[in-house]
Amino acid sequence: MTDLSLMPAPAATAAPAAVAPLTTAPAAPAVAPAVVTAAVTAAELYAKLLADAPLLIVDVRNPAEFARMRIEGREALDVLNIPYYAFIEDEDDAAAPIPTDREVVVVCAKEGSSEYVAELLAARGMAVSYLAGGFPAWGNHVDVRDVAAGAWGKVIQIARPARGDLSFVVVSDGAAAVIDPLRHTAVYHDTIAAAGASLAVVLDTHVHADHISGGPALAAATGAPYHVHAYDAIHPIDMLPATIPYTSLDDGQTFPIGAVTVTAHWFPGHTLGQFNFRLDAPDGTSALFTGDGIFLRSFGRPDLGGKGEAWTPLLYESLTERLPAIVHPHTLILPAHFSALDEAGADGVFSAPYAAVAATNDALRHRDLAEFTAYVLGHLPVFPPEYVQIKRVNIGLLEAGEQLADELELGKNICALSE
Amino acid sequence: MSTHFDATLDVKGAKCPMPLVKSRKAIGDLPVGHVLQVIATDRGSIADFQGWATTAKNIRLIAQETTAEGGQDLYVHYLERTA
Repeated sequence: MTDLSLMPAPAATAAPAAVAPLTTAPAAPAVAPAVVTAAVTAAELYAKLLADAPLLIVDVRNPAEFARMRIEGREALDVLNIPYYAFIEDEDDAAAPIPTDREVVVVCAKEGSSEYVAELLAARGMAVSYLAGGFPAWGNHVDVRDVAAGAWGKVIQIARPARGDLSFVVVSDGAAAVIDPLRHTAVYHDTIAAAGASLAVVLDTHVHADHISGGPALAAATGAPYHVHAYDAIHPIDMLPATIPYTSLDDGQTFPIGAVTVTAHWFPGHTLGQFNFRLDAPDGTSALFTGDGIFLRSFGRPDLGGKGEAWTPLLYESLTERLPAIVHPHTLILPAHFSALDEAGADGVFSAPYAAVAATNDALRHRDLAEFTAYVLGHLPVFPPEYVQIKRVNIGLLEAGEQLADELELGKNICALSE
Repeated sequence: MSTHFDATLDVKGAKCPMPLVKSRKAIGDLPVGHVLQVIATDRGSIADFQGWATTAKNIRLIAQETTAEGGQDLYVHYLERTA
């Protein structure tokens, strides 16, 4: 029943081969029409995760890959890890745990195996699609949305959801600032150009341990200065100084960006040179880019520099004394990470007014220094060994090509204390 | 070091899942006790063949080697049909 007139004309050289099977094929028993499964892009998948669609992800990578990093959602998402080779070995057995009444998205390491499994499941009558580009497409997906806007301009959140990384662009009157830019910098160039602005300054709240900064590359490409504090420009384990060009920060230093002002505030603890940046707009809008100082539900661990005992009291002072002094109740807290997708609203923005964070972030509960220290020591997650390497890359002590960078950035960030 | 094998399967250039699909078929065509050599270029095949062998009913992964040919890495797997 195939209507050949609808098929694309084969290339001339391929015509004989393409025609031959049609003329010689024995009459096959009537079979169901070829099953068509749809590819879902990483952006479409992220929209479904944010909307808390009741998806079932069938991750067909091997268990080791699954353990390193998986797709996480909000409440309604379920995830099953059934390696694709289990379907090849025994399809009925492999498919048995998958409910037939769920919308299924199959995910694999590249794309081929998920398409293969999706076709098997579709033939079994399931509503199924597969992730275009496989896991790397998800891992590298970048999400751009506005956080705050006014006549003065706007603050744009640029997220890498798979890793829980957040960065920001401020645009006002043709000028732009980028805060905590991620490794792949094209999105910042595009976002700033779309706003008709030019980059005035690149600010890193600190030298990151979990991901490679796009700051030096953005500065090199645009001529904008790259700021990070000199304390962080010494590798805390190697005790070697940065080889990248940077300009240090002063506590209280201000950066005029069009109609808004960004003020740098020293906030030691997660690192010795950690800064917060407060944005003040003419209409009273106030936002604090906290880096890994404070997150919406936790705060940055003080041990990634290898000096947890010395830095914990500094962190305590920052959270209990410095933070209240630099925020209003309505100041939007804009951190560099999230741990769970439900920290965002359905709008995909990871922010909350300080008053809400202070009331709900258990990590900010009143404690004296001894209690705080005990709390911190009791909630330290594993120390990923690659974090020492990433800090080397970020201050120029180690060159990382794309493949090494991808490997160093595998998995989700572990910068927060665990809950 | 050389590992004994009875048949060989060339899946160079084949992308996941085809190296495993073809290996499954090829080993099914071998007598019990025979060893299949699989030559792949997909780096992911190392971990995938390990995982497959632990869950498959009648396959034992005897050895895995990485070699190079013309500047391209080859991942060579040796699988025994056990039942």
